[in-house]
Amino acid sequence: MTIDLLRRKFLFDSAWGFGSLALLDLLNSESRSIPSQEGRQKVTSGILHHPPKAKRVVQLFMAGAASHIDLFDYKPALEKHHGEPSDFGEKVEAFQNGLGPWMKSPFQFRPYGASGKMLSDAVADLGSCVDEMAFIHNMTGKTGVHSQATYLQATGFQRPGFPGVGSWVSYALGSENENLPAFVVLPDHRGFASNGPKNWGSAFLPTSSQGTTIFPQRERPIRDLFPKGELVTPNSHAQGLELLDKLNRDFAMTREGDERLESRLRTYELAAKMQLSAPEALDLSSEPKHIMKMYGLDRAGAEYPEAINVPEEIEYFGRKCLIARRLLERGVRYVQIWSGNDNSFPRRNWDSHEDLKREHGPLARGMARGAAALIQDLKQRGLLDDTIVLWTTEFGRMPSTQGSTGRDHNPHVFTNWLCGGGIRGGISHGESDQWGFKPLDRDNPTQVYDIHATLLHLLGLNHLKLTVRHNGIDRRLTDVHGHVIREII
Amino acid sequence: MARLRLQILIAVVLLGSCGVANSFGREDDVFLDRVVPIFQARCLECHRAGLSKGDFSLEDADSFFEGDYIERGDSANSHFVELISSQDSHRAEMPKNGSPLTDDQIKVIRSWIDSGASWPDGFKLNYDAKVARPLDYDWWSFREVVKPVVPVLIDSPNRDWIRNPIDAFVLEMLERKNLAPSKEANRRTLIRRLSYDLTGLPPTIAEVEAYEEDKSEDAYERVVERLLASPRYGERWARHWLDVVKYADTCGYDKDKLRPNAWPYRDYVIRSFNDDKPYRQFVQEQIAGDVLFPGTEDGILGLGFIAAGPWDFIGHVEVPESKLDGRVARNLDRDDMVSNTFNSFCSLTVQCARCHDHKFDPITQDHYYRLQAIFAAVDRADRVYAVDPKVEVERTVLRNKISKSEKSLAKLNDQLDRAGGQALVKLRERIAAVKNETKKPEFGYHSKVESRQDTLKWVEIEFDQPQSTKQIVLHAAHDEFNNIGAGFGFPLRFRVEVNGSTVFNRENADFPNPGLTPIVIPVAEPLTSVRLVATKLAQRSSDYHLALAEIELLNSRGENVAATGKVTALDSIEAPVRWGKSNLVDGIWYESSGETRKELQVKLDAMVLSLIGPSGVEQKSSFKNQIAESRKALSQLPAGKAVYAAATDFKSQGNFKATQGQPRPVYFLPRGEVASPGPRLEPGIIPLSAGRTIGVELKSGESESVARSKLALWLTDKGNPLLWRSVVNRIWHYHFGRGIVDTPNDFGRMGGERSHPELLDWLAATFRDGSESVSAESFKDLHRLIVTSSVYRQSSSYSGNGMTADSGNRYLWRMNRRRLSAEEIRDSILHASGLLNLEMGGAGYFLFQLEKTEHSPHYEYHKFDHTDPKSYRRSIYRFIVRSQPDPFMTTLDCADSSQSTPARNETQTPLQSLTMLNSDFSLEMSKRFARRIELESADQSERIQKVVQESLGRSPTELELSTMGEFVQQHGLANLIRIVFNLSEFVFID
Repeated sequence: MTIDLLRRKFLFDSAWGFGSLALLDLLNSESRSIPSQEGRQKVTSGILHHPPKAKRVVQLFMAGAASHIDLFDYKPALEKHHGEPSDFGEKVEAFQNGLGPWMKSPFQFRPYGASGKMLSDAVADLGSCVDEMAFIHNMTGKTGVHSQATYLQATGFQRPGFPGVGSWVSYALGSENENLPAFVVLPDHRGFASNGPKNWGSAFLPTSSQGTTIFPQRERPIRDLFPKGELVTPNSHAQGLELLDKLNRDFAMTREGDERLESRLRTYELAAKMQLSAPEALDLSSEPKHIMKMYGLDRAGAEYPEAINVPEEIEYFGRKCLIARRLLERGVRYVQIWSGNDNSFPRRNWDSHEDLKREHGPLARGMARGAAALIQDLKQRGLLDDTIVLWTTEFGRMPSTQGSTGRDHNPHVFTNWLCGGGIRGGISHGESDQWGFKPLDRDNPTQVYDIHATLLHLLGLNHLKLTVRHNGIDRRLTDVHGHVIREII
Repeated sequence: MARLRLQILIAVVLLGSCGVANSFGREDDVFLDRVVPIFQARCLECHRAGLSKGDFSLEDADSFFEGDYIERGDSANSHFVELISSQDSHRAEMPKNGSPLTDDQIKVIRSWIDSGASWPDGFKLNYDAKVARPLDYDWWSFREVVKPVVPVLIDSPNRDWIRNPIDAFVLEMLERKNLAPSKEANRRTLIRRLSYDLTGLPPTIAEVEAYEEDKSEDAYERVVERLLASPRYGERWARHWLDVVKYADTCGYDKDKLRPNAWPYRDYVIRSFNDDKPYRQFVQEQIAGDVLFPGTEDGILGLGFIAAGPWDFIGHVEVPESKLDGRVARNLDRDDMVSNTFNSFCSLTVQCARCHDHKFDPITQDHYYRLQAIFAAVDRADRVYAVDPKVEVERTVLRNKISKSEKSLAKLNDQLDRAGGQALVKLRERIAAVKNETKKPEFGYHSKVESRQDTLKWVEIEFDQPQSTKQIVLHAAHDEFNNIGAGFGFPLRFRVEVNGSTVFNRENADFPNPGLTPIVIPVAEPLTSVRLVATKLAQRSSDYHLALAEIELLNSRGENVAATGKVTALDSIEAPVRWGKSNLVDGIWYESSGETRKELQVKLDAMVLSLIGPSGVEQKSSFKNQIAESRKALSQLPAGKAVYAAATDFKSQGNFKATQGQPRPVYFLPRGEVASPGPRLEPGIIPLSAGRTIGVELKSGESESVARSKLALWLTDKGNPLLWRSVVNRIWHYHFGRGIVDTPNDFGRMGGERSHPELLDWLAATFRDGSESVSAESFKDLHRLIVTSSVYRQSSSYSGNGMTADSGNRYLWRMNRRRLSAEEIRDSILHASGLLNLEMGGAGYFLFQLEKTEHSPHYEYHKFDHTDPKSYRRSIYRFIVRSQPDPFMTTLDCADSSQSTPARNETQTPLQSLTMLNSDFSLEMSKRFARRIELESADQSERIQKVVQESLGRSPTELELSTMGEFVQQHGLANLIRIVFNLSEFVFID
């Protein structure tokens, strides 16, 4: 980062320490005060470029690549030609060897809502929400390699070293609640997807904008929030903080003018506040029964078989969705929920090379139940108006068969959907071809840059103007690409 | 200009026929001669039809005047002028990329607009990249490094402050800015500053006190010498270098596999700093040590540099180069090598030219891909570096001995086998079965499951060359699934075909499940294929399938040749680790036997004796002994030491195959798209000025190692100004917290300004050529020069007019106070606790529990036990996971090994506070520190005194003693220590 570090560092420190407006104000006044020769290096950030439609985002990320044609993108042609040798009309490089016969979805499709959107039975729970949702069926990627594709969708770049989309948003907007992190990540409880925490790292943005991981099922859901063991008691903690504050104040007083030392005092105050706020946000005991039921969390203490199964997926995904709602309600700016872990054995992600029905069935039903509950719950609380829900994955899956029941990678076309926060509901934008192999209009696909540009736009940010100078380049979330998708807002 | 004139001529001719030629008046001349060249050179690249940014094109009058950018006759009210002029000290918005227009150019445009903005009818501007973007080498970093004269400041009131030339340069600048230097810091501050800066560790209280009391004139210098001579120095400064080169102990990307042999490079960097290795050698070893320093360990170890960054396992191992994704992965991999080289050594952002010519610096896409071509034959892999020639001779002798004995033994064994026949084979098989008793996770081959039992399935082993085989041995699988166990998936009816004809038929009646008994089928002819065809499948649960653990193909020597074949099948579930086609020939199956190994061995010995007699048995054991002895000697040779480095020869892994030095083709890639390559490019080195290349040139067709070595020589040429400026700026940056150029990886036009241009060049020239007090290319001499300067010894207090005139301390009127780095904090906590283990080198220690290594390793930090003493070594020796970095260190702004980190961030966040207060590490250290102090002293105030002294390097004040005393009274010493670790005084140095 080539910003005037020594003078500006303390401002970063509190990207989730100050209220966003305060931060914006500081950044603005700071950039105005930079003399001209350094002005050309200034960070253009923290400036609302236009009035926002949305204030916060929850992103649902399906690791391993969820199949568009088995969930949201209905393909009658596959039903008609099921079992016939596949013919793409061109040479196709499959990632593995999934160029077998055309394969219809193992799930039935039915129409839902006023828009009559066709959804597969695996995501039937989302049927009640389709009129709020905007589907984009002509998403295209750049690679069929999981790691690169995950990076591309999560950071806008195909390789490591770039901030996650949530980092950009929290860097630009800060948190609405200084007692909680601005960017929270709820990973799959079984482990991280490809690239692990680098998908939500801050890279060249300040550390404070990186995603804070929360594992609700762990003994300590947030790392280091509280001390483990007997050593520290609530009393020794409280009095210790008092002592610390006093000694640090003395130290700062003899070093007048160094704002970092002042800011450090404040970080301990905020840490203490977070110790109060975070557990409250994660505590579901105050949620009424009907809400628990809505998210599929009414089976407390249930035990699950070893094989992948629907109730277990519902419970885990639903819990993350409910926690997400509580975090959003309390002012967290960006929540990212992951479904699916790495490619270990047995498979617990969306990478269904062998048996699509086996994994997609439970994963999709779990996801759909939680996502539908989240959308409805946000709506009934009036939060959906300014909260964007974004569903995304690495790439799609092939309409042809791999083995006899699996599908190979399809980086050429896949589906995203968005809802809330200024998104037009009940529409499908862009189409894939009759097989779901490539975009129908191959010259005008939608790319992750467009999704990100739209997201930023709704948040009041111009993706062209949100830049940070790093190693000689003014970096943007959208690189040198991206158009706001006007049709869906 | 000739070209432009020609266009105009054409325009005139065309217009002339329409009778409007007379509209070419004086104003038009101004436009054509003076305005058009500016538009063409600075605007048209972006603003023309098709790609007109902001929907604004300057190609013709219609589009130019269309949007209300121009108010003809009134430049002051023309938005266009606003855009190209700087506003309230902010740079002009346009041109967006590159330097702003000069005042003269703006004046020309304004006066053209003021006089009506005349534009000849129909005149159209054409874009020409060569006009728009001549390679412009006129930039400070490309200019030759010429040693400037040291300023003489005889009249300065501060002239006595000058200790060495650095002070003279800095003072001269301070005075030019009406600033004055600060007074010298006190001794405690100085020794803490020096110790952390040079070694990354605090001084002991004894060292502080000794220095405070040392009244000799060279007390400070002696501290400096002691620290520079300490091995801790290399550990501290290697960390800086590893930040820049993205060092980590795992690959990153998907799976994030371990790199167990990355650490020798890390140790190499530490040793190089401690040995004060000349800089050029250090650079050369890292690019082409194998070529330029053959036969040396460091020549290989240095190549760890090229391999230090991330690597995409899937993109290389699972995807072949024949596929686009495979080529993309390899393109990005080379890009990392090229950018690592040029960012690290030259501070040049060449990677910007991957998709288009560099927008700001004179680097074309052609240059860039020629650099990629230099690295086109190397990959990242383990490489052996034990290269003592004597050892190598011995190794060859031993290998020959072994092979001679093995031949004799084989001859004898052949005799034995011929005599022993099937009986001997069977007995051996039973013994082998016992060996195989532990169940391994590679179960075997497994077909898709079917709903009908009579579905036909087959699996086959194919060979390119006929294999002389005597026996086929089928081993059934074992899987506890559905309580099936032994014989899992073994077909009820089947046949075995060799070269297409059936040699074993069990299709007419159900075959009893063999359990774990191998089925042996004799073969008469050399085979090119073996196929097992199942016609009635085994039941699994409510469905049916075919599974088989292993097919062995034994030759006359009893060796299994199956592994050299290719396994194909009608279908396969491919669910690693357990099931996969390749598991059919991996030599792993599960067997269990009633008899013990010992009983079987007795039988075998008796049989052998009866077959070849006592002399044969004796010969046999003598050959075996010879082999064993030679093998042992071989294994004791210092071999097998490997470093993860650039390599052209290594063991293949899936699609990841060594080039054997044959470069992969590198193409010019328009827009960086691998899918649509342009012409193939030869290796080449970038020019640093128009028409002048320094030192070396590459010739077409040179081998990859020659090309790499020439790049190394070019980089380190004394005439390469980038190398010398880059490195001294980095050193300066680490000493002061900010470089003379504050973008240490970018000396291009987008980089930072130089605060002290002359000082930078003086340092670069002095480091390059040496001087009376500085040996050329010696880091230690450069450090000494810097830290003994008065600039470095200043107090960090804010005072005088510096606060208002230069609040960011760009001109160094004081020293910069800094927060300790993540490593310094962790090491200091260990140090204060008395637990720091100063053992150097070796494999990195874990700060996580490692799980599931067979596929995607899980690095479980939250499960780590911080009482593990292995983790009490310095932080530089920790095992660095790229995609799942240590949360404690990351929170404290540790470098991210996914990107080059030329400068650490320094943040203060609530999460940092929580980590420092509550991490298991902090708590464990608080307890251990307290326990030690409590054993050393019984008196409470003495204990507190010790804690403060050992963590802060000073004694507590009376007031502190009493406040802390009260707290300890209530909560114990460990709770106090926890708080002390969080003191600003603990984590900041003045």
